Amino acid sequence: MNTYYAANLLIFAGVDIIACLALNLQFGVSGVVNFSFIVFQAAGAYAAAVLSMPPDTAPDYSFQIYVGGYQLPFPLPWIGGAIAGGLLALPIGLVVLRRLRADYQAIALLVTSIIANTVINNARPVLNGAAGLVLVPQPLDGVINTNTNSYQYLYIGLTAICVAIVWFVAARIVNSPYGRTLRAMRENELAASALGKNPTALKMAIFVVGGAIAGLSGAILVGFLQVWAPSTWLYPETIILFAAVIVGGRGNNVGAILGALLVPLGFEEVTRLLGRMNIGPPTLIPALEWVCIGLLILGFLWFRPKGVVPEQRRVFPGAPAVEDETRWVVGKRAR
Amino acid sequence: MLGARNIHRHFEGMHAVDGVSIEIMPGRITGLIGPNGAGKSTFMAVLAGTLPASSGTIVFQGQDITRLPAYQRARRGLVRTFQLPSEFGQLTVLENLLVAAPDNRGESLLGALLGKRYWMPDEMRLVEQARGLLKRFGMSAKESDYAASLSGGQKRLVEIMRALMLRPRLLLLDEPMSGVHPSIVNEIAGYLEQLRDDGLTLLMVEHELHMVERLCDPVVVMAEGKVIGRGSMAALRQEREVVDAYLVG
Repeated sequence: MNTYYAANLLIFAGVDIIACLALNLQFGVSGVVNFSFIVFQAAGAYAAAVLSMPPDTAPDYSFQIYVGGYQLPFPLPWIGGAIAGGLLALPIGLVVLRRLRADYQAIALLVTSIIANTVINNARPVLNGAAGLVLVPQPLDGVINTNTNSYQYLYIGLTAICVAIVWFVAARIVNSPYGRTLRAMRENELAASALGKNPTALKMAIFVVGGAIAGLSGAILVGFLQVWAPSTWLYPETIILFAAVIVGGRGNNVGAILGALLVPLGFEEVTRLLGRMNIGPPTLIPALEWVCIGLLILGFLWFRPKGVVPEQRRVFPGAPAVEDETRWVVGKRAR
Repeated sequence: MLGARNIHRHFEGMHAVDGVSIEIMPGRITGLIGPNGAGKSTFMAVLAGTLPASSGTIVFQGQDITRLPAYQRARRGLVRTFQLPSEFGQLTVLENLLVAAPDNRGESLLGALLGKRYWMPDEMRLVEQARGLLKRFGMSAKESDYAASLSGGQKRLVEIMRALMLRPRLLLLDEPMSGVHPSIVNEIAGYLEQLRDDGLTLLMVEHELHMVERLCDPVVVMAEGKVIGRGSMAALRQEREVVDAYLVG
Protein backbone atom coordinates (compact mmCIF):
# COMPACT_ATOMS: atom_id res chain seq x y z
CA MET A 1 0.00 0.00 0.00
CA ASN A 2 1.56 3.31 -1.04
CA THR A 3 1.42 6.44 1.10
CA TYR A 4 -1.01 8.27 -1.16
CA TYR A 5 -3.50 5.39 -1.09
CA ALA A 6 -3.24 5.11 2.70
CA ALA A 7 -3.65 8.85 3.09
CA ASN A 8 -6.59 8.74 0.72
CA LEU A 9 -8.29 6.04 2.80
CA LEU A 10 -7.62 7.68 6.14
CA ILE A 11 -8.70 11.15 5.06
CA PHE A 12 -11.87 9.80 3.46
CA ALA A 13 -12.49 7.84 6.65
CA GLY A 14 -12.10 11.03 8.69
CA VAL A 15 -14.42 13.00 6.43
CA ASP A 16 -17.03 10.24 6.47
CA ILE A 17 -16.80 9.90 10.26
CA ILE A 18 -17.32 13.64 10.69
CA ALA A 19 -20.26 13.60 8.28
CA CYS A 20 -21.85 10.57 9.94
CA LEU A 21 -21.48 12.08 13.41
CA ALA A 22 -23.30 15.18 12.15
CA LEU A 23 -26.04 13.20 10.44
CA ASN A 24 -26.40 11.06 13.56
CA LEU A 25 -27.01 14.19 15.63
CA GLN A 26 -29.75 15.24 13.23
CA PHE A 27 -31.32 11.96 12.19
CA GLY A 28 -30.22 9.41 14.76
CA VAL A 29 -30.60 11.50 17.91
CA SER A 30 -33.15 14.14 16.95
CA GLY A 31 -35.23 12.40 14.28
CA VAL A 32 -34.70 15.11 11.66
CA VAL A 33 -34.60 13.28 8.32
CA ASN A 34 -32.18 15.61 6.57
CA PHE A 35 -32.19 14.38 2.99
CA SER A 36 -30.31 17.52 1.97
CA PHE A 37 -27.31 16.76 4.19
CA ILE A 38 -24.88 16.67 1.27
CA VAL A 39 -25.79 20.28 0.40
CA PHE A 40 -24.25 21.45 3.68
CA GLN A 41 -21.08 19.48 3.00
CA ALA A 42 -21.00 21.07 -0.45
CA ALA A 43 -21.54 24.54 1.01
CA GLY A 44 -18.54 24.02 3.27
CA ALA A 45 -16.44 22.75 0.40
CA TYR A 46 -17.31 25.65 -1.89
CA ALA A 47 -16.81 28.18 0.90
CA ALA A 48 -13.40 26.75 1.81
CA ALA A 49 -12.45 26.69 -1.87
CA VAL A 50 -13.32 30.32 -2.66
CA LEU A 51 -11.81 31.49 0.62
CA SER A 52 -8.47 29.85 -0.17
CA MET A 53 -8.32 30.39 -3.95
CA PRO A 54 -7.03 33.58 -5.56
CA PRO A 55 -9.50 35.76 -7.50
CA ASP A 56 -10.67 34.27 -10.78
CA THR A 57 -8.72 36.98 -12.60
CA ALA A 58 -5.40 35.49 -11.42
CA PRO A 59 -3.31 34.10 -14.31
CA ASP A 60 -3.63 30.40 -13.53
CA TYR A 61 -7.30 30.65 -12.53
CA SER A 62 -8.79 32.80 -15.28
CA PHE A 63 -10.38 29.80 -17.04
CA GLN A 64 -12.85 29.56 -14.13
CA ILE A 65 -15.54 31.94 -12.94
CA TYR A 66 -16.41 32.14 -9.26
CA VAL A 67 -17.31 34.55 -6.51
CA GLY A 68 -14.78 35.38 -3.82
CA GLY A 69 -11.16 34.38 -4.19
CA TYR A 70 -9.76 35.72 -0.94
CA GLN A 71 -6.59 33.63 -0.55
CA LEU A 72 -7.10 33.36 3.20
CA PRO A 73 -4.47 31.40 5.12
CA PHE A 74 -5.19 28.06 6.78
CA PRO A 75 -7.23 27.36 8.96
CA LEU A 76 -9.57 30.21 7.99
CA PRO A 77 -10.97 28.40 4.91
CA TRP A 78 -11.90 25.38 7.07
CA ILE A 79 -13.48 27.60 9.70
CA GLY A 80 -15.27 29.45 6.91
CA GLY A 81 -16.53 26.15 5.53
CA ALA A 82 -18.04 25.23 8.88
CA ILE A 83 -19.61 28.68 9.24
CA ALA A 84 -21.05 28.44 5.72
CA GLY A 85 -22.67 25.08 6.51
CA GLY A 86 -24.17 26.46 9.71
CA LEU A 87 -25.39 29.68 8.08
CA LEU A 88 -27.01 27.79 5.21
CA ALA A 89 -28.94 25.74 7.76
CA LEU A 90 -30.68 28.86 9.05
CA PRO A 91 -32.82 29.77 6.00
CA ILE A 92 -33.44 26.15 5.01
CA GLY A 93 -34.37 25.22 8.57
CA LEU A 94 -36.64 28.24 9.02
CA VAL A 95 -38.57 27.30 5.88
CA VAL A 96 -38.69 23.53 6.33
CA LEU A 97 -38.63 22.79 10.06
CA ARG A 98 -41.18 25.22 11.47
CA ARG A 99 -44.50 24.18 10.05
CA LEU A 100 -44.14 20.96 8.08
CA ARG A 101 -44.82 17.52 9.52
CA ALA A 102 -41.78 15.24 9.79
CA ASP A 103 -42.49 13.25 6.61
CA TYR A 104 -43.05 16.41 4.58
CA GLN A 105 -39.87 17.86 6.06
CA ALA A 106 -37.96 14.91 4.61
CA ILE A 107 -39.52 15.43 1.18
CA ALA A 108 -38.88 19.18 1.28
CA LEU A 109 -35.24 18.59 2.21
CA LEU A 110 -34.79 16.09 -0.61
CA VAL A 111 -36.24 18.61 -3.06
CA THR A 112 -33.94 21.29 -1.60
CA SER A 113 -30.96 19.08 -2.37
CA ILE A 114 -32.03 18.58 -5.98
CA ILE A 115 -32.80 22.28 -6.49
CA ALA A 116 -29.48 23.40 -4.95
CA ASN A 117 -27.50 21.05 -7.18
CA THR A 118 -29.42 22.09 -10.27
CA VAL A 119 -28.95 25.80 -9.57
CA ILE A 120 -25.20 25.53 -8.92
CA ASN A 121 -24.85 23.25 -11.95
CA ASN A 122 -26.43 25.83 -14.25
CA ALA A 123 -25.40 29.15 -12.71
CA ARG A 124 -21.83 29.26 -13.97
CA PRO A 125 -20.92 32.79 -12.77
CA VAL A 126 -21.40 31.75 -9.14
CA LEU A 127 -19.19 28.68 -8.71
CA ASN A 128 -18.16 27.78 -12.27
CA GLY A 129 -21.26 25.65 -12.94
CA ALA A 130 -21.02 22.01 -13.94
CA ALA A 131 -17.25 22.16 -14.50
CA GLY A 132 -16.78 23.05 -10.84
CA LEU A 133 -13.74 24.50 -9.16
CA VAL A 134 -10.25 23.13 -9.72
CA LEU A 135 -6.77 23.99 -8.45
CA VAL A 136 -8.13 24.59 -4.96
CA PRO A 137 -5.01 25.29 -2.86
CA GLN A 138 -4.24 22.75 -0.17
CA PRO A 139 -3.92 23.96 3.42
CA LEU A 140 -0.53 25.61 4.07
CA ASP A 141 0.21 25.60 0.33
CA GLY A 142 3.06 28.04 -0.18
CA VAL A 143 4.15 27.71 3.43
CA ILE A 144 5.37 24.14 3.19
CA ASN A 145 5.88 21.73 0.30
CA THR A 146 2.60 19.91 -0.26
CA ASN A 147 4.05 17.29 -2.62
CA THR A 148 5.71 15.18 0.02
CA ASN A 149 4.76 12.15 2.10
CA SER A 150 5.19 14.30 5.20
CA TYR A 151 2.42 16.57 3.97
CA GLN A 152 0.11 13.57 3.55
CA TYR A 153 0.78 12.65 7.18
CA LEU A 154 0.18 16.26 8.20
CA TYR A 155 -3.17 16.24 6.39
CA ILE A 156 -4.12 13.01 8.12
CA GLY A 157 -3.20 14.63 11.43
CA LEU A 158 -5.26 17.74 10.72
CA THR A 159 -8.23 15.56 9.77
CA ALA A 160 -7.77 13.52 12.94
CA ILE A 161 -7.81 16.69 15.04
CA CYS A 162 -11.10 17.70 13.39
CA VAL A 163 -12.54 14.21 14.02
CA ALA A 164 -11.56 14.54 17.69
CA ILE A 165 -13.17 18.00 17.98
CA VAL A 166 -16.39 16.82 16.32
CA TRP A 167 -16.44 13.67 18.49
CA PHE A 168 -16.04 15.87 21.57
CA VAL A 169 -18.95 18.11 20.54
CA ALA A 170 -21.18 15.19 19.51
CA ALA A 171 -20.43 13.24 22.71
CA ARG A 172 -21.21 16.22 24.92
CA ILE A 173 -24.52 16.76 23.14
CA VAL A 174 -25.61 13.12 23.01
CA ASN A 175 -24.75 12.32 26.63
CA SER A 176 -26.26 15.46 28.15
CA PRO A 177 -29.77 16.36 29.31
CA TYR A 178 -30.01 18.34 26.06
CA GLY A 179 -29.35 15.15 24.09
CA ARG A 180 -32.00 13.38 26.16
CA THR A 181 -34.50 16.06 25.19
CA LEU A 182 -33.55 15.63 21.54
CA ARG A 183 -34.16 11.89 21.85
CA ALA A 184 -37.51 12.55 23.52
CA MET A 185 -38.47 14.80 20.61
CA ARG A 186 -37.46 12.03 18.21
CA GLU A 187 -39.69 9.57 20.08
CA ASN A 188 -42.78 11.78 20.38
CA GLU A 189 -42.63 15.41 19.30
CA LEU A 190 -46.17 16.26 20.45
CA ALA A 191 -45.60 14.84 23.93
CA ALA A 192 -42.28 16.71 24.18
CA SER A 193 -43.98 20.00 23.32
CA ALA A 194 -46.66 19.28 25.93
CA LEU A 195 -43.83 19.02 28.47
CA GLY A 196 -42.51 22.50 27.75
CA LYS A 197 -40.00 21.67 25.02
CA ASN A 198 -39.91 23.85 21.91
CA PRO A 199 -39.48 21.39 19.02
CA THR A 200 -38.79 24.06 16.41
CA ALA A 201 -35.97 25.60 18.47
CA LEU A 202 -34.50 22.17 19.21
CA LYS A 203 -34.58 21.15 15.55
CA MET A 204 -33.17 24.46 14.37
CA ALA A 205 -30.27 24.28 16.80
CA ILE A 206 -29.31 20.75 15.82
CA PHE A 207 -29.82 21.58 12.14
CA VAL A 208 -27.33 24.44 12.44
CA VAL A 209 -24.83 22.41 14.49
CA GLY A 210 -25.08 19.50 12.03
CA GLY A 211 -24.83 21.90 9.10
CA ALA A 212 -21.65 23.43 10.49
CA ILE A 213 -20.07 20.01 11.06
CA ALA A 214 -21.09 18.93 7.54
CA GLY A 215 -19.53 22.13 6.21
CA LEU A 216 -16.28 21.32 7.99
CA SER A 217 -16.25 17.85 6.42
CA GLY A 218 -16.65 19.44 2.99
CA ALA A 219 -13.81 21.88 3.68
CA ILE A 220 -11.47 19.02 4.63
CA LEU A 221 -12.48 17.08 1.54
CA VAL A 222 -11.97 19.93 -0.94
CA GLY A 223 -8.59 20.77 0.55
CA PHE A 224 -7.48 17.23 -0.16
CA LEU A 225 -9.16 16.65 -3.52
CA GLN A 226 -8.45 20.20 -4.77
CA VAL A 227 -11.55 19.98 -6.98
CA TRP A 228 -15.25 20.36 -6.27
CA ALA A 229 -18.15 20.16 -8.71
CA PRO A 230 -21.92 19.50 -8.62
CA SER A 231 -21.31 15.91 -9.74
CA THR A 232 -19.59 15.20 -6.40
CA TRP A 233 -22.60 16.13 -4.28
CA LEU A 234 -25.64 14.66 -5.99
CA TYR A 235 -28.48 13.80 -3.61
CA PRO A 236 -27.77 10.02 -3.59
CA GLU A 237 -24.57 10.79 -1.66
CA THR A 238 -26.83 11.64 1.29
CA ILE A 239 -28.44 8.22 1.02
CA ILE A 240 -25.03 6.57 1.49
CA LEU A 241 -24.56 8.50 4.72
CA PHE A 242 -28.04 7.53 5.88
CA ALA A 243 -27.17 3.91 5.13
CA ALA A 244 -24.03 4.32 7.26
CA VAL A 245 -25.93 5.68 10.26
CA ILE A 246 -28.66 3.02 9.95
CA VAL A 247 -26.14 0.19 9.62
CA GLY A 248 -23.85 1.47 12.37
CA GLY A 249 -26.65 2.19 14.81
CA ARG A 250 -28.80 5.27 15.11
CA GLY A 251 -28.53 7.54 18.10
CA ASN A 252 -25.03 6.74 19.29
CA ASN A 253 -21.71 8.10 18.14
CA VAL A 254 -19.87 4.78 18.14
CA GLY A 255 -22.49 3.42 15.76
CA ALA A 256 -22.11 6.43 13.50
CA ILE A 257 -18.33 5.94 13.32
CA LEU A 258 -18.68 2.22 12.67
CA GLY A 259 -21.24 2.96 9.96
CA ALA A 260 -18.89 5.47 8.36
CA LEU A 261 -16.14 2.84 8.22
CA LEU A 262 -18.44 0.06 6.99
CA VAL A 263 -20.52 1.80 4.36
CA PRO A 264 -19.09 4.89 2.62
CA LEU A 265 -15.52 3.73 3.08
CA GLY A 266 -15.53 -0.05 3.33
CA PHE A 267 -18.37 -0.76 0.99
CA GLU A 268 -17.18 1.61 -1.69
CA GLU A 269 -13.62 0.33 -1.47
CA VAL A 270 -14.79 -3.25 -1.92
CA THR A 271 -16.93 -2.40 -4.92
CA ARG A 272 -14.14 -0.27 -6.37
CA LEU A 273 -11.76 -3.19 -6.17
CA LEU A 274 -14.40 -5.43 -7.76
CA GLY A 275 -14.60 -2.92 -10.59
CA ARG A 276 -10.96 -3.59 -11.38
CA MET A 277 -11.75 -7.25 -12.00
CA ASN A 278 -13.49 -6.40 -15.29
CA ILE A 279 -16.77 -8.14 -14.49
CA GLY A 280 -19.36 -7.20 -17.14
CA PRO A 281 -19.69 -3.73 -18.60
CA PRO A 282 -17.93 -0.85 -16.81
CA THR A 283 -21.20 0.57 -15.46
CA LEU A 284 -22.29 -2.73 -13.89
CA ILE A 285 -20.38 -2.50 -10.60
CA PRO A 286 -21.31 1.15 -9.83
CA ALA A 287 -24.96 0.33 -10.62
CA LEU A 288 -24.85 -2.77 -8.42
CA GLU A 289 -23.31 -0.64 -5.69
CA TRP A 290 -26.47 1.45 -5.53
CA VAL A 291 -28.62 -1.67 -5.53
CA CYS A 292 -26.57 -3.02 -2.64
CA ILE A 293 -26.84 0.26 -0.69
CA GLY A 294 -30.63 0.07 -1.06
CA LEU A 295 -30.72 -3.56 -0.01
CA LEU A 296 -28.45 -2.81 2.91
CA ILE A 297 -30.81 -0.11 4.20
CA LEU A 298 -33.87 -2.34 3.72
CA GLY A 299 -32.15 -5.34 5.26
CA PHE A 300 -31.10 -3.48 8.39
CA LEU A 301 -34.43 -1.71 8.81
CA TRP A 302 -36.15 -5.09 8.54
CA PHE A 303 -33.85 -7.42 10.45
CA ARG A 304 -31.79 -5.18 12.72
CA PRO A 305 -33.36 -1.73 12.89
CA LYS A 306 -31.14 -0.65 15.77
CA GLY A 307 -27.99 -1.26 13.70
CA VAL A 308 -24.76 -3.07 14.54
CA VAL A 309 -24.22 -1.02 17.72
CA PRO A 310 -27.64 -0.21 19.21
CA GLU A 311 -28.25 2.97 21.15
CA GLN A 312 -27.20 2.40 24.75
CA ARG A 313 -29.57 2.34 27.67
CA ARG A 314 -28.81 5.11 30.15
CA VAL A 315 -28.63 3.77 33.67
CA PHE A 316 -28.04 6.11 36.60
CA PRO A 317 -25.84 5.28 39.59
CA GLY A 318 -27.82 3.58 42.33
CA ALA A 319 -30.44 2.18 39.94
CA PRO A 320 -31.85 -1.33 40.44
CA ALA A 321 -29.98 -3.93 38.40
CA VAL A 322 -31.23 -4.55 34.88
CA GLU A 323 -30.58 -7.55 32.71
CA ASP A 324 -29.11 -5.81 29.75
CA GLU A 325 -26.74 -6.31 26.87
CA THR A 326 -24.99 -2.96 26.92
CA ARG A 327 -25.71 0.05 29.03
CA TRP A 328 -24.37 3.49 29.62
CA VAL A 329 -23.93 4.39 33.25
CA VAL A 330 -24.14 8.15 33.58
CA GLY A 331 -20.71 9.34 34.66
CA LYS A 332 -18.90 6.17 33.60
CA ARG A 333 -19.14 3.33 31.14
CA ALA A 334 -20.08 -0.16 32.18
CA ARG A 335 -20.93 -3.56 30.80
CA MET B 1 -57.62 28.74 37.90
CA LEU B 2 -58.62 28.40 34.23
CA GLY B 3 -61.48 29.94 32.31
CA ALA B 4 -62.34 29.02 28.75
CA ARG B 5 -64.88 31.23 26.99
CA ASN B 6 -66.87 30.26 23.91
CA ILE B 7 -64.23 27.91 22.49
CA HIS B 8 -64.75 26.72 18.92
CA ARG B 9 -62.65 24.27 16.98
CA HIS B 10 -63.60 23.43 13.41
CA PHE B 11 -62.14 20.78 11.12
CA GLU B 12 -63.03 21.69 7.53
CA GLY B 13 -66.63 22.53 8.39
CA MET B 14 -67.05 19.94 11.15
CA HIS B 15 -67.63 21.58 14.52
CA ALA B 16 -65.70 19.36 16.93
CA VAL B 17 -65.97 21.96 19.71
CA ASP B 18 -68.85 24.35 19.36
CA GLY B 19 -68.92 27.24 21.80
CA VAL B 20 -67.75 25.52 24.97
CA SER B 21 -67.23 27.60 28.11
CA ILE B 22 -65.84 26.13 31.29
CA GLU B 23 -64.48 27.34 34.61
CA ILE B 24 -62.02 25.13 36.47
CA MET B 25 -61.84 25.71 40.21
CA PRO B 26 -58.55 25.20 42.07
CA GLY B 27 -57.95 22.15 44.26
CA ARG B 28 -60.59 19.98 42.61
CA ILE B 29 -60.81 17.25 40.02
CA THR B 30 -63.20 18.45 37.32
CA GLY B 31 -64.60 15.62 35.23
CA LEU B 32 -65.31 15.91 31.53
CA ILE B 33 -67.55 13.17 30.21
CA GLY B 34 -69.62 12.49 27.12
CA PRO B 35 -70.16 9.95 24.35
CA ASN B 36 -67.48 9.17 21.78
CA GLY B 37 -67.12 12.03 19.32
CA ALA B 38 -68.45 14.59 21.82
CA GLY B 39 -65.30 16.73 21.38
CA LYS B 40 -63.82 16.13 24.84
CA SER B 41 -60.29 15.26 23.71
CA THR B 42 -60.32 18.04 21.10
CA PHE B 43 -61.37 20.51 23.79
CA MET B 44 -58.60 19.27 26.06
CA ALA B 45 -56.07 19.62 23.23
CA VAL B 46 -57.25 23.18 22.65
CA LEU B 47 -56.84 23.98 26.37
CA ALA B 48 -53.30 22.54 26.34
CA GLY B 49 -52.40 24.27 23.08
CA THR B 50 -51.60 21.10 21.15
CA LEU B 51 -54.46 22.20 18.86
CA PRO B 52 -55.17 25.89 18.23
CA ALA B 53 -58.68 27.16 18.89
CA SER B 54 -60.64 28.41 15.87
CA SER B 55 -62.07 31.09 18.16
CA GLY B 56 -62.65 31.79 21.84
CA THR B 57 -60.51 32.83 24.78
CA ILE B 58 -58.55 30.87 27.38
CA VAL B 59 -57.42 32.60 30.55
CA PHE B 60 -55.06 30.73 32.89
CA GLN B 61 -54.18 32.24 36.25
CA GLY B 62 -55.32 35.65 35.09
CA GLN B 63 -53.39 35.65 31.81
CA ASP B 64 -54.75 35.21 28.31
CA ILE B 65 -52.96 32.15 26.91
CA THR B 66 -55.14 31.62 23.84
CA ARG B 67 -52.33 32.32 21.37
CA LEU B 68 -49.55 30.61 23.30
CA PRO B 69 -48.08 27.39 21.88
CA ALA B 70 -48.28 24.18 23.91
CA TYR B 71 -44.72 24.34 25.20
CA GLN B 72 -45.21 27.82 26.67
CA ARG B 73 -48.45 26.77 28.36
CA ALA B 74 -46.65 23.77 29.85
CA ARG B 75 -43.92 26.05 31.20
CA ARG B 76 -46.65 28.08 32.94
CA GLY B 77 -47.96 24.97 34.65
CA LEU B 78 -50.72 23.81 32.29
CA VAL B 79 -49.69 20.24 31.52
CA ARG B 80 -51.56 17.48 29.73
CA THR B 81 -51.39 13.74 29.22
CA PHE B 82 -52.68 11.98 26.13
CA GLN B 83 -55.53 9.60 25.32
CA LEU B 84 -53.11 7.19 23.64
CA PRO B 85 -49.91 6.25 25.46
CA SER B 86 -47.30 8.86 24.57
CA GLU B 87 -44.25 7.62 26.42
CA PHE B 88 -40.78 8.18 25.00
CA GLY B 89 -40.37 4.51 24.17
CA GLN B 90 -36.60 4.27 23.72
CA LEU B 91 -35.90 6.27 26.87
CA THR B 92 -35.91 4.60 30.26
CA VAL B 93 -38.65 5.31 32.78
CA LEU B 94 -36.32 7.56 34.77
CA GLU B 95 -35.27 9.40 31.63
CA ASN B 96 -38.93 9.95 30.74
CA LEU B 97 -39.32 11.78 34.03
CA LEU B 98 -36.07 13.71 33.72
CA VAL B 99 -37.01 15.03 30.28
CA ALA B 100 -39.92 16.87 31.85
CA ALA B 101 -37.86 18.56 34.59
CA PRO B 102 -37.76 22.26 33.75
CA ASP B 103 -34.67 23.54 35.54
CA ASN B 104 -31.64 21.56 34.40
CA ARG B 105 -28.62 23.60 33.27
CA GLY B 106 -27.71 20.86 30.80
CA GLU B 107 -30.98 21.33 28.93
CA SER B 108 -29.51 23.98 26.61
CA LEU B 109 -27.02 23.47 23.80
CA LEU B 110 -24.48 25.69 25.53
CA GLY B 111 -25.02 23.90 28.84
CA ALA B 112 -24.48 20.55 27.12
CA LEU B 113 -21.23 21.74 25.54
CA LEU B 114 -19.95 23.02 28.89
CA GLY B 115 -19.94 19.44 30.12
CA LYS B 116 -20.94 17.29 33.05
CA ARG B 117 -19.32 19.43 35.71
CA TYR B 118 -21.67 22.22 34.71
CA TRP B 119 -24.93 20.27 34.76
CA MET B 120 -24.34 17.17 36.87
CA PRO B 121 -25.40 18.79 40.20
CA ASP B 122 -28.77 19.68 38.67
CA GLU B 123 -29.02 16.23 37.14
CA MET B 124 -28.42 14.44 40.43
CA ARG B 125 -30.92 16.66 42.25
CA LEU B 126 -33.55 15.88 39.61
CA VAL B 127 -32.72 12.16 39.68
CA GLU B 128 -33.49 12.20 43.41
CA GLN B 129 -36.72 14.09 42.76
CA ALA B 130 -37.72 11.62 40.04
CA ARG B 131 -36.85 8.65 42.26
CA GLY B 132 -39.10 10.12 44.92
CA LEU B 133 -41.97 10.09 42.44
CA LEU B 134 -41.14 6.56 41.29
CA LYS B 135 -41.23 5.41 44.90
CA ARG B 136 -44.52 7.17 45.56
CA PHE B 137 -46.10 5.51 42.50
CA GLY B 138 -44.55 2.12 43.22
CA MET B 139 -42.42 2.10 40.08
CA SER B 140 -38.90 2.16 41.54
CA ALA B 141 -38.05 -1.29 40.23
CA LYS B 142 -38.84 -0.15 36.69
CA GLU B 143 -36.50 2.84 36.76
CA SER B 144 -34.13 1.57 34.10
CA ASP B 145 -36.66 -0.22 31.91
CA TYR B 146 -37.39 1.17 28.50
CA ALA B 147 -40.76 2.90 28.63
CA ALA B 148 -41.84 1.01 25.51
CA SER B 149 -41.61 -2.27 27.44
CA LEU B 150 -44.13 -1.25 30.14
CA SER B 151 -47.74 -2.39 30.41
CA GLY B 152 -50.57 -0.01 29.53
CA GLY B 153 -51.22 0.88 33.17
CA GLN B 154 -47.55 1.47 33.88
CA LYS B 155 -47.31 3.76 30.87
CA ARG B 156 -50.22 5.78 32.26
CA LEU B 157 -48.39 6.12 35.56
CA VAL B 158 -45.22 7.22 33.76
CA GLU B 159 -47.20 9.89 31.95
CA ILE B 160 -48.68 11.18 35.20
CA MET B 161 -45.29 11.14 36.95
CA ARG B 162 -43.70 12.85 33.96
CA ALA B 163 -46.30 15.60 34.10
CA LEU B 164 -45.73 15.98 37.85
CA MET B 165 -42.00 16.55 37.28
CA LEU B 166 -43.04 19.84 35.67
CA ARG B 167 -44.70 20.86 38.95
CA PRO B 168 -47.99 21.63 37.18
CA ARG B 169 -50.68 23.93 38.53
CA LEU B 170 -53.37 22.35 36.39
CA LEU B 171 -53.06 18.80 35.11
CA LEU B 172 -55.20 17.75 32.16
CA LEU B 173 -55.70 13.98 32.04
CA ASP B 174 -57.14 12.46 28.89
CA GLU B 175 -58.70 9.08 29.80
CA PRO B 176 -56.04 8.04 32.33
CA MET B 177 -57.84 4.73 32.98
CA SER B 178 -58.21 3.84 29.29
CA GLY B 179 -56.78 0.43 28.38
CA VAL B 180 -55.68 -0.16 31.95
CA HIS B 181 -56.17 -3.43 33.83
CA PRO B 182 -58.98 -3.08 36.43
CA SER B 183 -56.55 -3.78 39.26
CA ILE B 184 -54.49 -0.74 38.24
CA VAL B 185 -57.56 1.50 37.78
CA ASN B 186 -58.13 1.66 41.55
CA GLU B 187 -54.44 2.31 42.08
CA ILE B 188 -54.45 5.23 39.63
CA ALA B 189 -57.62 6.60 41.24
CA GLY B 190 -55.91 6.50 44.64
CA TYR B 191 -52.93 8.43 43.28
CA LEU B 192 -55.22 11.06 41.74
CA GLU B 193 -57.01 11.50 45.06
CA GLN B 194 -53.66 11.98 46.78
CA LEU B 195 -52.66 14.61 44.22
CA ARG B 196 -55.97 16.44 44.72
CA ASP B 197 -55.50 16.31 48.50
CA ASP B 198 -52.01 17.77 47.99
CA GLY B 199 -53.68 20.79 46.35
CA LEU B 200 -53.22 19.99 42.65
CA THR B 201 -56.03 20.96 40.28
CA LEU B 202 -57.03 18.39 37.66
CA LEU B 203 -59.32 18.20 34.65
CA MET B 204 -60.02 14.62 33.66
CA VAL B 205 -61.70 13.18 30.58
CA GLU B 206 -62.93 9.71 31.53
CA HIS B 207 -65.42 7.05 30.45
CA GLU B 208 -65.31 4.99 33.66
CA LEU B 209 -68.33 6.64 35.28
CA HIS B 210 -67.90 5.00 38.67
CA MET B 211 -64.43 6.52 38.80
CA VAL B 212 -65.79 9.90 37.71
CA GLU B 213 -68.35 9.66 40.51
CA ARG B 214 -65.64 8.78 43.00
CA LEU B 215 -63.12 11.41 41.97
CA CYS B 216 -64.74 14.32 40.20
CA ASP B 217 -66.75 17.27 41.39
CA PRO B 218 -67.94 19.07 39.40
CA VAL B 219 -68.56 17.07 36.24
CA VAL B 220 -69.11 18.65 32.82
CA VAL B 221 -71.02 16.70 30.16
CA MET B 222 -70.35 17.27 26.46
CA ALA B 223 -72.25 16.01 23.43
CA GLU B 224 -71.81 16.99 19.78
CA GLY B 225 -69.24 19.64 20.68
CA LYS B 226 -71.41 21.45 23.22
CA VAL B 227 -71.76 21.42 27.01
CA ILE B 228 -75.13 19.89 27.86
CA GLY B 229 -74.83 19.71 31.63
CA ARG B 230 -72.65 20.40 34.63
CA GLY B 231 -72.78 19.71 38.35
CA SER B 232 -72.19 16.78 40.64
CA MET B 233 -72.56 13.30 39.19
CA ALA B 234 -75.59 12.69 41.39
CA ALA B 235 -77.28 15.84 40.12
CA LEU B 236 -76.45 15.01 36.50
CA ARG B 237 -78.19 11.67 36.83
CA GLN B 238 -81.41 13.62 37.37
CA GLU B 239 -81.04 15.69 34.18
CA ARG B 240 -83.08 14.18 31.38
CA GLU B 241 -80.97 15.56 28.50
CA VAL B 242 -77.76 14.22 30.02
CA VAL B 243 -79.28 10.84 30.72
CA ASP B 244 -80.65 10.59 27.18
CA ALA B 245 -77.44 11.73 25.53
CA TYR B 246 -74.95 9.74 27.49
CA LEU B 247 -75.75 7.98 30.69
CA VAL B 248 -78.05 5.39 29.13
CA GLY B 249 -76.86 5.88 25.53
